[in-house]
Amino acid sequence: MPSICLNGITKRFGSVTALDAVSFTIDGPGCVGILGPNGAGKTTMLKILTNIVKPSKGIATLDGISVSEYPERALARVGALVEQPEFYPYLTAREILSFVVKIKMVKDEKEEIRRVSELTSIGGYLDRKAGELSRGMKQRLGLAVALVGDPDIIILDEPTFGLDPSGMKRIRDIIKEINARKNKIIILSTHLIYEAQEVCDRIIIVNKGKIGYDLNNHTSDHVKIELESTGGAVDFPKQIANQWKADGNVIYLQKAEGAKNSEIIDYCRKNGLEVKWVTPYNDIESIYVSLTK
Amino acid sequence: MNAGMTKFAASTSYYFRNYYRSRSFYLMLAMSLLVSGLMMFFTLRYVNSLTGFLPNLNLTSLSMPTKESVFGFLWSYVLLYLPVFSSVFFGSSAISSEIENRTAFHIFALPISRSSLLISKYLAAVMVTVVISMIYILMQAATFIYVFQIPLISGFFYSVALLIIFIFSMTAFTFMLSSIFNKNTYAYISVFLIYFLIFTAYQFIAELLYKTTPFYLLDNAAGIIEKVYVNISLSPFNFNFSLNPVGFGEIAQSVLVMAIYAIVSMAVSLIIFERKEVR
Repeated sequence: MPSICLNGITKRFGSVTALDAVSFTIDGPGCVGILGPNGAGKTTMLKILTNIVKPSKGIATLDGISVSEYPERALARVGALVEQPEFYPYLTAREILSFVVKIKMVKDEKEEIRRVSELTSIGGYLDRKAGELSRGMKQRLGLAVALVGDPDIIILDEPTFGLDPSGMKRIRDIIKEINARKNKIIILSTHLIYEAQEVCDRIIIVNKGKIGYDLNNHTSDHVKIELESTGGAVDFPKQIANQWKADGNVIYLQKAEGAKNSEIIDYCRKNGLEVKWVTPYNDIESIYVSLTK
Repeated sequence: MNAGMTKFAASTSYYFRNYYRSRSFYLMLAMSLLVSGLMMFFTLRYVNSLTGFLPNLNLTSLSMPTKESVFGFLWSYVLLYLPVFSSVFFGSSAISSEIENRTAFHIFALPISRSSLLISKYLAAVMVTVVISMIYILMQAATFIYVFQIPLISGFFYSVALLIIFIFSMTAFTFMLSSIFNKNTYAYISVFLIYFLIFTAYQFIAELLYKTTPFYLLDNAAGIIEKVYVNISLSPFNFNFSLNPVGFGEIAQSVLVMAIYAIVSMAVSLIIFERKEVR
């Protein structure tokens, strides 16, 4: 089973802290969306996972192998598309794929190029030089490069950026198609909430270099607690909540396993908060807005 | 072939391909053909009036081997600029372009060590520079055989071997400067400033004030490529004119200087490239 672990990752660029003690684990297949506004730290997180930048503190591992210590081994079963990809301008798309096939030690070169180019619909321009490709074509070539060798972990940083609506849909469909097989980890960084909701199983909201919220996109263990008035800070115990975020007279909360709504209400009352409603909640947009405003 | 070697061979081949298809390559190729064509024209036209260009010797004519050596010197004197410009074109942007053109996002995430990437790119840059220089060398050889009707002299082969060593060290030097910057323009300007301005100014000062030629400067060491024909120094403060080639000691010293430049520059480039981050 593929796995990804970020443990206390801090990244500073001069006086700017791009990531501040970020930790999370992905220990099974599925698509995980990293959602956040521009400058939140999403790309930095993915750059650390792909050895493009090194963490100032903490450790990032892929399949248990430290990326900064053993990058070649850690990245052996990883495919990545980070930022808007650029390729050597005088090489054709076919040559670029062939280069990656050789670097990833894939045996049947022709068959692998045929497979990834068919999957990403780039067969029509395989013999065009990278310098002559449009933004959208490069984006698809980047995705094809990431898929070479059928990696266990696929890291995609805003893969639909700069594409027209049909191009965006095509890429999302490809990601869904790969995710449907449930044998890979796909990390998808995006600032489009609907994209994350459509494609991902789990969504991690990042803001100002920290993880703001981590939620399952399919289950309803999240509740929205509306209070009679704006309450003070409440520190929920582990038996009741995994995580929570207060926003005015609303608290977004992920229930701990087995926790009941009545327990949440009782706990709030004990802490001086009068609860108006507790409703099941999965509106990522509201959580996102409350976290990032 | 083991995995590391396969990856290294693949990246060298792809970098070489990307270099020889570039505009810079065709520009340098045109320069090489143009300059060697001009040299061929001047050789054919002035082969019998060479003594007029050498007033210091008060000679009425030159013996055949000397004439050949003087022409060898002149061809090599002009040749030296080709690998310099070629290295500047291919080496100065070698690392900075990976950052500026954002190709680093693609290659850094691949399962290949950065040292393999850097050394393979370095070898590819050396190879294209050798190809460009060889066009000039072949024109030189063809002209000599045609004009003098004798096989090539030993000085020619020494000169070519030293030229290849110089290409290795000059390319490594440009790679080192390229690794410091994230912008191609800064890298280009730095190489030109250091090689053509700082080295020359330093040499002038050393010769003028201390009456010594700084043998440890790369451009001085490269002068050995022409001095294996005849030992002429064209420096205004340290003029030297001898129709004999330099001795083994001076050749060994220059080779050592060039080798040190190559090794130190590549070591520094590797250290910087290994720590390079793309924000």
